[in-house]
Amino acid sequence: MTFRNALTLNINGSEHEVFIEPHWTLLDVLRREIGLTGTKENCIEAECGVCTVLLDGKAVCSCILLAMQAAGRSITTIEGLGTPDALDPLQVAFLKHGAVQCGYCIPGMILTAKSFLAEHPGTPTRHEIREAISGTLCRCTGYQKIIDAIADAGAEGAQAAS
Amino acid sequence: MSVEAPAATGNMGEPHPRFDARLKVTGGARYASDMPVDNPAYAYLVTSAIARGRIVSINLGEAQNVPGVLHIMTHENTSKDVKDSKLFSDGGFSGTSIIPLQSDKVWHDGQIVAVVVAETYEAAREAGYRVKIEYEAEQPSATFESNGVQVQAAADVKKTHEDPKVGDFDGAFASAEVKVDATYFTPTQHHNPIELFTTTCAWAGDKLTVYEPSQTMYGMKNGIASQLGIEPEQVRVVSNFVGGAFGSKGSLTPRTALTAIAARRVGRPVKLVATRQQGFTIATYRAETKQRVRLGASRDGKLTALSHEGWEVTSRPDNYMVAGTDATTRMYDVANVQSKVSIVHADRNTPGFMRSPPELPYMFGLESAIDELAYALDIDPIELRRKNDTMKEPIKGLPYTSRSVMQCFDEGAKSFGWSKREPKPGSMRDGDWLVGLGCAMSCYPTQMAPSSARVRLSQNGELRVETASHEIGNGAYTVIGQIAAERLGVPYEKVSVVLGDSDYPAAPVSGGSITTASVCNCVAEACDAIRAELGINDPKGDVLAALKSRGRGAIERYAEWTPKGVPDGALAKLYSGQAMPTGGTKDKERIMFAFGAEFIEVRVHQRTREIRVPRIVGAFAAGRIVNPRTARSQLMGGLIWGVSSALHEATEIDKRAARYVNKDLAEYLVPVNADIDQLEVFMIPEEDHEVNPLGIKGIGELGNVGTNAAVANAVYHATGKRIRDLPIRLETLLA
Ligand code: FES
Ligand code: FES
Repeated sequence: MTFRNALTLNINGSEHEVFIEPHWTLLDVLRREIGLTGTKENCIEAECGVCTVLLDGKAVCSCILLAMQAAGRSITTIEGLGTPDALDPLQVAFLKHGAVQCGYCIPGMILTAKSFLAEHPGTPTRHEIREAISGTLCRCTGYQKIIDAIADAGAEGAQAAS
Repeated sequence: MSVEAPAATGNMGEPHPRFDARLKVTGGARYASDMPVDNPAYAYLVTSAIARGRIVSINLGEAQNVPGVLHIMTHENTSKDVKDSKLFSDGGFSGTSIIPLQSDKVWHDGQIVAVVVAETYEAAREAGYRVKIEYEAEQPSATFESNGVQVQAAADVKKTHEDPKVGDFDGAFASAEVKVDATYFTPTQHHNPIELFTTTCAWAGDKLTVYEPSQTMYGMKNGIASQLGIEPEQVRVVSNFVGGAFGSKGSLTPRTALTAIAARRVGRPVKLVATRQQGFTIATYRAETKQRVRLGASRDGKLTALSHEGWEVTSRPDNYMVAGTDATTRMYDVANVQSKVSIVHADRNTPGFMRSPPELPYMFGLESAIDELAYALDIDPIELRRKNDTMKEPIKGLPYTSRSVMQCFDEGAKSFGWSKREPKPGSMRDGDWLVGLGCAMSCYPTQMAPSSARVRLSQNGELRVETASHEIGNGAYTVIGQIAAERLGVPYEKVSVVLGDSDYPAAPVSGGSITTASVCNCVAEACDAIRAELGINDPKGDVLAALKSRGRGAIERYAEWTPKGVPDGALAKLYSGQAMPTGGTKDKERIMFAFGAEFIEVRVHQRTREIRVPRIVGAFAAGRIVNPRTARSQLMGGLIWGVSSALHEATEIDKRAARYVNKDLAEYLVPVNADIDQLEVFMIPEEDHEVNPLGIKGIGELGNVGTNAAVANAVYHATGKRIRDLPIRLETLLA
């Protein structure tokens, strides 16, 4: 007999009720129970960053976070960023700079950048961006264009704020 | 620095944004393990703890008691279920002939020895840890120099293998005025695409659907059918997006058949997501090589003798080889050439294709040796290459259809600032940093295989292209759509392309950089057939107006394209899932390659010996570039892979146990954003309509060839230390 608990999660602005075993990770619950497969899975030990989601606006690896720990907090996945008519400026910048190859790392890359730009308003240098996203691996290694895109989105954000 | 997408010049196409980019930035692109299936069970693999020996007993008691466990497969209940396992490189489908669970034998560390199926992934994994296996272990052989390895000449084990040879090497080398004789090593490497090896199998009656990231829809369809003893018509394979492959998803791995069998047994869909660690032993990898290169030259720098010998590790039962001498013996004008490839059987999983399988290791040997020769002769390495440049390969005297390698060197050198280089090793410094500048040649054979596609033009102006090719990050959706749009004069925005499903017309494996050339030529042919049917032969004529004026709703054409010079029966083989490419060195009348020149600046700290790469410049000539934006991405990614192969990547082996020890992304080093600084790519305009009607050469594997040598050459220039064993790490430089 396995025990399941009811849990309410706030994901992309709506409430989801799920019945889960206490040791399930947020990654598994998002992908398997809710069907939000934009969040990717890989190392499941916090080495690669593809599973990144925002928890109260900050980037976390959902593969090492128990779903229970996310209760009462606001979770944003790639599906919750922007709307079909108005993509998030980061999504627009990734499109503009062609910073996408196989695409597998991209949701995690965009959300990592989102959290970084929110914490570093103004115009971060390329070096700062590079350091900030080095925990998110891209094996297609589109690094140059990814930095171009984030720098661009950062500059636009700074402009909008001023 | 930041550069916008290059403008189209020469025979380049438009830098259209990726067709599928929007799906990828919004999380809407569905990869195989994202596909929903009804009520799935989950599989977990149990892998062997020894590299050689046999299973004496398996105790499943504890595992079966884990709540939620549905079934456990071992050799005791699965030994007759998998029929065929012919190697991909021998015309079969499989990347290994080692099919697990067929007997008690263990061929390598990390071999699948049991599969647990349970209600949840967690239960399957927990039960997996509780499967108790007792082994009778034998001492395994790990790699070169290990006791018990078995060495065979490639020519003795494979009928089609040729060791290129011409003239009298021994005589010419003996009498050469200047000589280089050096031995180089390249390490084991694993592809490590960020998307894991996953498989989901669902049966409906006797029909099987497989969701698996794959570079070969028809290969999987036919391969899995023959392994399960069913008809190919009973199998559908779906893989709309692949999260990186680099060769690892091009041949069948044993997990697919096992997952299909599991699904049949439990009567519901089964989902397998193998772990990152398991990925190192349940699929293929780039085998380590050892190479001896000998060069002889006259005082003034004319090559007179070249010998390239290579040794490559493979598994105990399989004769897998990459044999890069096929290319390296044909790069320079030299009258006396010999070569030989040998394979070394060890107790390892079977290696396989990894991005530029033959050229990446073998061009490291050749292009390092050329640099060594330049120093021995005291000639600039670019000038040495110019002196020995040729429009004919030396072995059979066949002409290159095009070869713009010196243009690449000249353009690259200009932008890189090569003329400011002080040739003497250790002579350039910047504070505490020793500065080194190095270069090397890149090459990749231009190959094509038969292909089929269906194109439909509708009255509302929409153009749809269907083909079972693959989007592996290469931009396949985009370039295929672009060619169709161009050919029929329809706006790119009106085109839709569907790929990655074996229900679509057959396309060859996406390997050997053949996709763009093979599929685009086929799509162009289908478009031309639509034009012909409408009687609009003027390329500027309005096909849509013609369609409407005839009162037709839509017109659809199915095309089969066969490149010139393919072996007999190649088209039929397309449908049975085996690609039979031509081109490269396979053509009888000419030789087809794309080329490049790569420049690297390294900085080595004079005390810590930390190595940085502040600048990378690559110039490439590869015929028609369909989309300069996606091409640039591919080439940049390739260059970073090349730097990675020089400085980061190596799978370390515990030689006593024949076991990989750094089986995760924390310890298997790949470059991260912080490792790469300035990166520039130039595409040199080149027209070559001999290779194929559209004049396309593949570029997916061009960027990472030679880069490792350019890095090693730069490290030598910085430090005066010649490193012949990759990867180059600070401890090597401190030693
Ligand atoms: S899957 Fe979470 S960091 Fe890799
Ligand atoms: S785009 Fe392929 S892993 Fe980043």
